[in-house]
Amino acid sequence: MISLKQLTKRFGTQTAVDALSFDIAGGQIVGFLGPNGAGKSTTLKMLTGMIEPSEGTATVCGFDLQRETLEVKRRVGFVPESGAVFESLTGLEYLEMVAALYAIPQEAARARIKQFIAFFDLSFETLTDKLLGAYSKGMRRKVVITAALLHNPPVVFFDEPLDGLDANAAVGFKALIQTLAREGKTIVYSSHILDVVERVCDRVIIIDKGRLLLDGRPDELVAAHGAGTLERLFTQLTGGTELERRAEDFAKTFRQ
Amino acid sequence: MTGTTSNPVPPGRTLRRLFLTLFLRGRSSRGLRKERAPKSVGSKLALTLFFYALMGLMTLAFLNQPVFALSVYLHAMTLVFLGMFVAASAGEVLFNKEEADILMHRPIPPRALLWAKIGVLVEVSLWLAGAFNLAGLFVGLYGPNGGWLFPVAHAISTTFEALFCTGCVVLVYQLCLRWFGRERLDGLMTTAQVLVAVAAVVGGQMVPQLMRGFGGKLDLSIKSWWIALLPPAWFAGFDDALAGSGRAGSWALGGFGLAATTTVLWLAFGKLASAYETGLQTLNETTSARRSGRAGRRWIDVLVATPPLCWWLRDSVTRAAFLLTAAYLVRDRDVKLRIYPGLAPMLAMPIIFLVQDQGRGGMGGFGVAFAGGYLGLIPLLGLNLLRYSQQWQASDLFRAAPLPGPAPLCHGARRAVLCFLALPALVVFALLARLVESDSSHLPLLLPGLLALPLYAMVPCLGGHAVPLSLPTEEAKSAVRGLTMVAVMLISAVLSGLAIWAWSGGWFKWLLLVETVLVLILYLGMRAAVASVRWTPLE
Repeated sequence: MISLKQLTKRFGTQTAVDALSFDIAGGQIVGFLGPNGAGKSTTLKMLTGMIEPSEGTATVCGFDLQRETLEVKRRVGFVPESGAVFESLTGLEYLEMVAALYAIPQEAARARIKQFIAFFDLSFETLTDKLLGAYSKGMRRKVVITAALLHNPPVVFFDEPLDGLDANAAVGFKALIQTLAREGKTIVYSSHILDVVERVCDRVIIIDKGRLLLDGRPDELVAAHGAGTLERLFTQLTGGTELERRAEDFAKTFRQ
Repeated sequence: MTGTTSNPVPPGRTLRRLFLTLFLRGRSSRGLRKERAPKSVGSKLALTLFFYALMGLMTLAFLNQPVFALSVYLHAMTLVFLGMFVAASAGEVLFNKEEADILMHRPIPPRALLWAKIGVLVEVSLWLAGAFNLAGLFVGLYGPNGGWLFPVAHAISTTFEALFCTGCVVLVYQLCLRWFGRERLDGLMTTAQVLVAVAAVVGGQMVPQLMRGFGGKLDLSIKSWWIALLPPAWFAGFDDALAGSGRAGSWALGGFGLAATTTVLWLAFGKLASAYETGLQTLNETTSARRSGRAGRRWIDVLVATPPLCWWLRDSVTRAAFLLTAAYLVRDRDVKLRIYPGLAPMLAMPIIFLVQDQGRGGMGGFGVAFAGGYLGLIPLLGLNLLRYSQQWQASDLFRAAPLPGPAPLCHGARRAVLCFLALPALVVFALLARLVESDSSHLPLLLPGLLALPLYAMVPCLGGHAVPLSLPTEEAKSAVRGLTMVAVMLISAVLSGLAIWAWSGGWFKWLLLVETVLVLILYLGMRAAVASVRWTPLE
């Protein structure tokens, strides 16, 4: 479903993504992990056609990312980390605008929107009467997630989707992506909440400094490295060592 | 907590430095090439100062004028530029929504915040005023009653004028806050800025026009009681008193200017500062973000579903962009604060010319033709200003959508601007022209401008640069607006001059015919060019 071959992105002299290669089959939930600045968001933006790769190739749903960008865009949904929305629109207006961008007829869009708001436990009045600027962070995130799924894409990229969601919504969201995967959708899930990734994802890809570090099933990777948990494995791989000692040193500075 | 041996920087100075940096650099570093973003606004400002200095060279036309006439011109133009600049910038500087989260939990008194912001506004205003008045300082040296004292006196009076201008804008905001409360401030700020911008243009234009009417020779002490009502004359009086004729009337005007400035500053920064504190504290409250009723959007929905708009907006993406733009033009505080005060002076100028046109002899109809020419330029500025939004990151949505390029989005925004900005302006101009003119025979002179309207509206779309709400707001602070305004005036003057020439020469119909053909050809060419534009790389 998704295939990257030596995908590279440079910003001036800085290489954000360095010759990344991997394949993701349909129906998989893939955790895409890495420390801050590892190149996750840049990779996701390349795979959604938002920025162009400097080198390498990628295909999404069989379409070449650079030559058939529009076909790729028709088939992907994206929840960006920023969660930015047009705050002077109501939730409904925003979602209808998104639907129009994907040429979804208004009636069909309205029906899908109603399904999503029922799932997220939002009232239709909230969606029609309140501007997005007045929404809580969690409500806004629900609208952004709905906007990403509205056109029923076979591939969905989530960048920190749980940011701002309350516990119930987060549980519901995890159930949703598992259901979507069972129906054959490919989910690429980037997050720093590693225990959620460990529980939800069939596979994790860990990158650092734009390079691939590890790729495999979470339980197998944890066992192979004797790390106990995915979180511990992640810190081992990405240089997060001696964190307790560093925290102790930091605390000491206040005692001096 | 450990002690420190170095002296801490006073909070006031730290805040001033912070706001100046934010003003020049912008609040967000857009894109990933961050090394480019911080420089952009500073270099644009430097360029703007250069253009202001160039525009100031127009003062050379006053080389042989007495000090008062020269000063009136300089102060009137300075008031126009500063009024527009301060009115456009003050809203964002004084009431930035994100700022409350960043600063309001710090140990900073709101009054210190206010002073730091005012300091920045005054500082930048003085740069602009200084650049524009640079040539005037030297012209005054060689005037009939000028001399070495003129540059000193004019520098002082210009400083007072900058303080007066900034003080007035802040005062209007404080009064809005005090009288009407935070909930209604959003709408009032827009109205206040529009009024301030219009007042600055009208006030700035009135004195030179009146001076022209009196042949540059005003007897201040006897006939000109009304001149005391016009701020540019106060500061010009100061110059004339110190470095010109030294007449009693000039001293009176100068004294009045100083008293007015002091009063405004005392009211804005002293007496009413507590209102600012309250306003800042409630800025992030979201009660006002709720729609007032369910009808807010419906009239737009009905409008786009009704002919002729439903025929014009058949493409779903164009329609979505139209609705988005319309919603922001009606609702969004940030967009409204930029658009309407930016456009108001544009509308004020032709209205001044229309009113002046009344009773003019052989040049009858020039005001109507000028209004027509000006009209065509409203979408140019409107579309340019609509590109900026505090929610610019949300426009990533457009790039993620399966659109080959920004063309349909540009067309949606363009059509919204034509419907909601240019059309009402046309109606206002036509009504005013009908009211002012004794007969309606000159109304066809609006047509050359009207015909050029689609062309002007297409210009910002070239290169796909009219995608609505897609750029950070700080990039809008290029302050090239003053230059745009001059360009607008020049183009309008040329077009209206041509129209008047054709009208009096009896070949007006031919002008319209040739213009129609030219506009059609250019429009189709531009439309094809816009359709072929592809997204530029995001970074």
